[in-house]
Amino acid sequence: MSKAEILEALRQHPFTHHMDEAWKESLAEMARLQTYAPDTLLLREGRAADAFFLIIDGIVAIEMFIPQRGPVRLQTVSAGEIVGWSWALPPYRWEFDARALVETRAVVLDAAALRARMSQDCALAAWILSRLLSVVAGRLKATRLQLLDIYALPEGRLA
Amino acid sequence: MIAATGPEAPVAVEQDLFTPLPFQVTAVRRETADTFTLRLRPPDGRPFSFRPGQFNMLYVFGVGEVAISISGVHPRTHDLEHTVRAVGYVTRALVRLHRGDMVGVRGPYGRGWPVEEARGRDVLIIAGGIGLAPLRPALRHLMVHRSNYERIVLLYGARTPRDLLYRLELERWRGRFDLHTFVTVDRGDEAWRGHIGVVTTLLPLAERLLDLRHAFVMMCGPEIMMRVAARELENRGVPPDQVFVSLERNMKCGVAMCGHCQLGPLFICQDGPVFPLSQVYTFMETREF
Repeated sequence: MSKAEILEALRQHPFTHHMDEAWKESLAEMARLQTYAPDTLLLREGRAADAFFLIIDGIVAIEMFIPQRGPVRLQTVSAGEIVGWSWALPPYRWEFDARALVETRAVVLDAAALRARMSQDCALAAWILSRLLSVVAGRLKATRLQLLDIYALPEGRLA
Repeated sequence: MIAATGPEAPVAVEQDLFTPLPFQVTAVRRETADTFTLRLRPPDGRPFSFRPGQFNMLYVFGVGEVAISISGVHPRTHDLEHTVRAVGYVTRALVRLHRGDMVGVRGPYGRGWPVEEARGRDVLIIAGGIGLAPLRPALRHLMVHRSNYERIVLLYGARTPRDLLYRLELERWRGRFDLHTFVTVDRGDEAWRGHIGVVTTLLPLAERLLDLRHAFVMMCGPEIMMRVAARELENRGVPPDQVFVSLERNMKCGVAMCGHCQLGPLFICQDGPVFPLSQVYTFMETREF
């Protein structure tokens, strides 16, 4: 795939909306387009967090492996969303698994290169970390709502 | 208006507001472990018309009465359909009924979904749990009059895959090229290959297909879900007068006389159950209500 294709995929992804064009071009230099077959792991708990995934198409499940139970799916992430923020936080290790449930395409950014670039450009670092914070807050909110079990039977005397 | 005895039937049954008419149960279909769809036939095949989003008061003789949204009309028999979750003494009695039993029906009551006002616009339907039931007649109306609307997106969330309503119909909707259907569950199982997460997590997918700022949004589900979704829509610039929610309260009389369902100055049974968000947002955000 050409750099132009990668750049175009980056431009189309909501994570980079309103991002400076020069930054997008810089990110394209450290990115590749990757297709994952169903059931492929994008990342695995405990391994080095070496990539940042911008999902273009497909569905990715965030899972945790439980002994004698197998992988338990906690949430899914779809087109237009991102997978992985452990690459931005020491010790740069994945905390969960992420698995493609259907054929999934992603822009994959090299985490080491991205960290190096962010350490040289504070404005870019602030921009990316601010977007990541918004994603993390959204996921936390969704998780809290899941914990509420909103479809459970209501309590009290009902007709 | 949708007619329960054929598409041509023009008017509703003239009846006393407080007198139930005896409808015969023609089928009881299990949807999930605790949710059933009852098919009801009007007496003497009399016409029964309603607007999508309206409800009836269903009376189980000797047990009590409960407000249940009309969830559709059977396409062949034109029997009226109500989807009931067995959560209390009346609803448990309702789902224990059998073919041939009789149910008292008063209605239809209330204000329905703005299917006419939405003509020419994109439409986003957000349903959670049994909230899909009152939206089903609206979605069917949109699909029957498909050319009157722009893009249509359905976002549907349930607790688990086993809790999804209208599975066959859901599959048909998912197979349509002129309807975008996204389904999510709070907890998946090994066989589930779809989305996992609350229904609001599907909004970015809808946003890719619709211009949300100009779309009509129809929403029904647990009130906490609607409150959170309302905020998400507001954050995306959707005007609150384009968002419609169906509210549920303890409806008793159905005709704004008893006050059980009062919400501030509004009576859910008469002024609703479908409201523009702009009319009820304050109450939804107020804990005392």
